[in-house]
Amino acid sequence: MEYRIRAYVDELFQSAPRTQRAYELKVELTQNLLDKYFALLSEGKSQDDAYNLTVMSIGDVQELFEGLNEDAPAGPPVPPPVMAPAPGANRRALVVTVAVMLYILSVVPLIGLSALFPYSDMAPILGIVLMFVFIACATGLLVYNHMTKPKAQPYVVPGTVVQDFKEWQSGKSQKKQLMKFIRSVFWPLVLVVYFLISFGTGKWYITWLIFLIAPAVDSIISATLTLQDKNGR
Amino acid sequence: MSIASDVIRGHTDAIILAQLMTEDSYGYKINRAVVEKTQGLFEFKEATLYTAFRRLEQSGYITSYWGDENTGARRRYYSITPYGVEQYNRMVAQWEESVGLLQRLIYPQKP
Repeated sequence: MEYRIRAYVDELFQSAPRTQRAYELKVELTQNLLDKYFALLSEGKSQDDAYNLTVMSIGDVQELFEGLNEDAPAGPPVPPPVMAPAPGANRRALVVTVAVMLYILSVVPLIGLSALFPYSDMAPILGIVLMFVFIACATGLLVYNHMTKPKAQPYVVPGTVVQDFKEWQSGKSQKKQLMKFIRSVFWPLVLVVYFLISFGTGKWYITWLIFLIAPAVDSIISATLTLQDKNGR
Repeated sequence: MSIASDVIRGHTDAIILAQLMTEDSYGYKINRAVVEKTQGLFEFKEATLYTAFRRLEQSGYITSYWGDENTGARRRYYSITPYGVEQYNRMVAQWEESVGLLQRLIYPQKP
């Protein structure tokens, strides 16, 4: 008869959450039911009566299991939400591909023109100019791509300090990215201008001054952006 | 019997704590004491009892430990905490107040 009680409890706990707490409760309950069962037998009840009385005394275990769910460590792990591919992912992949292609192709005009017009003075100049144009375009594409990339934002409760902070932070990083973008386009452009002017005028002794002026311009742009940022706040 | 049972069930926590005031005990023993005290008129369902145990343990009224039985039976013993004693005394005081008021309220006005 003893096994019948164990079997009964086993069946009851089929619907219980699979936790350590539930297992302990099962052991505890089984032992107490057995105590009760043997006490009833010693009172002179028949085995069947004792079994029935014992089983009936359990009552509604549903509320008991509900409690187990509460302090269970979240039961089965919740699968992470499936991330839908970010919109524009294809477009961005294409942009990166084109940019890399441009980098590789940037030397082609130089080689090609030099080979086609081996005696021309202008061919290498044009080749170098085109190379820098290619590089500038490719860099610009990559930066643009980076800037438009939507960031995976963790879920933030609206109206909280955390949200305010996130907004402040993203505002700041947008400015930062703009600055990065300007820089990365700016310096290739400076190079292109330097070569254009130098080859065009032939005044190599003076054109290097561009490299003194350029950092100044760069600083002015940065300062302007920072100031704007401060005024806008 | 059902009305009395409802009233008793409303005081499950206090009844369990009262048992633990004398000594550490386990589920069957507590229920056994309840049956004896009520001369078989009332008995907790196991589910009610264990739900109460967990509630009391989570509230810090009682703690539990596995007993070390020679017979091979593993029993979970419960033990009342100082905070539990405090709460038990509060429950008893409330009960006495309720009984006093009910005594006055439950009978018709004397002319």
